[in-house]
Amino acid sequence: MTFVNKNLLLLIIVLTSSLVAQSTLQQQFDFAKKLFTQEKYFDAITEFKRLQFFDNENQFSFQSNLLIGKSYKAGAKYDESIKYFVLSEMDAASDEEYFKAKIFNARTNILRRTTKQAERILNDLLIDQRFKSNEKEIKYWIGWSYIFSDDWEKAYEIFNENNLDTALASLCELVDQEKYSVNFAKYSSYLIPGFGQFYTGEYLSGAISLGWNILFGYLTINAFVEDRIFDAIIIGNFLWLRFYSGNIQNAEKFAVQKNLEISNKALEYLQYSFMGERP
Amino acid sequence: MFKLFFLITLLSSLLFSQQIDFSSPLNIKLFADYLFCDKDYLRAIDEYEKYLSVFDDDSIQFKIAVGYSAINDQSNAFKKFSSIKKTSSFYDQSRIEMLKSLYLQKIDSSYFLNADLLINSQSPFSNNAYRLKNSSLLLIKNDLPEKENFLIPFENEEKNNLSNFYDLKNDPPYKSEVWAGIFSAIIPGAGKIYTQEYGDGITAFILTGLFAYLAYTNFDHDHPTRAWIFTAIGAGFYAGNIYGSVASAQIFNARVNFDFDEGVKLFLEEKNYFTPTYDFCK
Repeated sequence: MTFVNKNLLLLIIVLTSSLVAQSTLQQQFDFAKKLFTQEKYFDAITEFKRLQFFDNENQFSFQSNLLIGKSYKAGAKYDESIKYFVLSEMDAASDEEYFKAKIFNARTNILRRTTKQAERILNDLLIDQRFKSNEKEIKYWIGWSYIFSDDWEKAYEIFNENNLDTALASLCELVDQEKYSVNFAKYSSYLIPGFGQFYTGEYLSGAISLGWNILFGYLTINAFVEDRIFDAIIIGNFLWLRFYSGNIQNAEKFAVQKNLEISNKALEYLQYSFMGERP
Repeated sequence: MFKLFFLITLLSSLLFSQQIDFSSPLNIKLFADYLFCDKDYLRAIDEYEKYLSVFDDDSIQFKIAVGYSAINDQSNAFKKFSSIKKTSSFYDQSRIEMLKSLYLQKIDSSYFLNADLLINSQSPFSNNAYRLKNSSLLLIKNDLPEKENFLIPFENEEKNNLSNFYDLKNDPPYKSEVWAGIFSAIIPGAGKIYTQEYGDGITAFILTGLFAYLAYTNFDHDHPTRAWIFTAIGAGFYAGNIYGSVASAQIFNARVNFDFDEGVKLFLEEKNYFTPTYDFCK
């Protein structure tokens, strides 16, 4: 009977200690999570790290790493954020947890503009049979990844596929239509100097470019006509050709610049006015 | 039996809940050490400060100061190092660390005063202070001491580097702005070549020469309008090239200064500003 009692006593002590320890860790987790909810990210990270330090059995590893990652992400510390999302991936106890960590990793990569890395992560998830039911969500973030890589056409195709997100599809389509063709701006200026500038709405620049080319073209041809071959070569080479090639580069530069403005305007809308989920 | 069970549960819960008392000074210190070794200095400092509010511990004060120094908050690092008492085993280290903090803030009279005090003290780091002081002399405008005196505190493998720095400081490979201008006035582009802008120099020479030639032939063939246009363009290139050569010499000299300063700073960084290394995380 004494032996039984001793064993019982030991069991009670072990069980209670384990229970109390767990409840203390749970309290710490709740406290840290409360700070996170209150958007006190610096303090939240401290408390999650404290939890991890004392959580010898790694009971809260996944959740604490994920929330540390989210806190760093909220503070735009993307490198640190990704480090903790990777740690949470490693600590994931289920497919669902693993998927969650991976998605956050990809979303942070999108924000960090390492979109190739984001696409790689998302494409890996897409071919993983375990996440067949999450295909829509994966594709949604692939679409965002294309947006951040300035590939609005591909983004439109993704969002438009099976009406994944009609609002984003419309926006991407609009941006894609609004954007200027850099190649058209460039090569049209080969044919008619200044045309690329006109195409991108830079009328004054286009007119000046056309004027210089007409002037130096005339001077070059005139020199040839008057048999001043050396003059013609020098004027043609150093003046006409300089303005002709400058006009082509200028047209290309304008198209790239205008496209950047269009993209930035759309990204600004997505940042401040878009109501759906963002990276 | 029930009473016994209740008592055991209560006692053990009290006993074990104490083991994960996050706010106990010991646990705070342990956690702070973990953060410190994880290089999360800002959080480690916060935790160490909490610990210090309960216990006075000079090693923790020193670690806080090292933490501030690591995150380049040299003003707070200096304050914390200053608070280390003479009786502390970290006193000597804190003095050389203070000098490092002062150096990283600003090389001024206060820095040199502190350096001289440390050099003339009985500190085991007085020679370190001497080396830091002499290295930083390279970064200010004052004249350097004699080379032999300058190199005294340094170890043999450092002497080569420091000797090179000394020579560069005393005789920097500057290019004369006046000569650059004169060269370009005599031969267009020569000033640029003198300042090692070879591509620009050759282009300037060809362009100015061509426009001069075009102006000349047009005058010669009775095309005064075109001739004057080419004269104006040629004169513009000629004048611009002289101005550009002077500017190029100024840029060259600024680059020499910049490279020199960066070289000295990098040398000091590699030498950890002659401060000791600590094994807090072993």
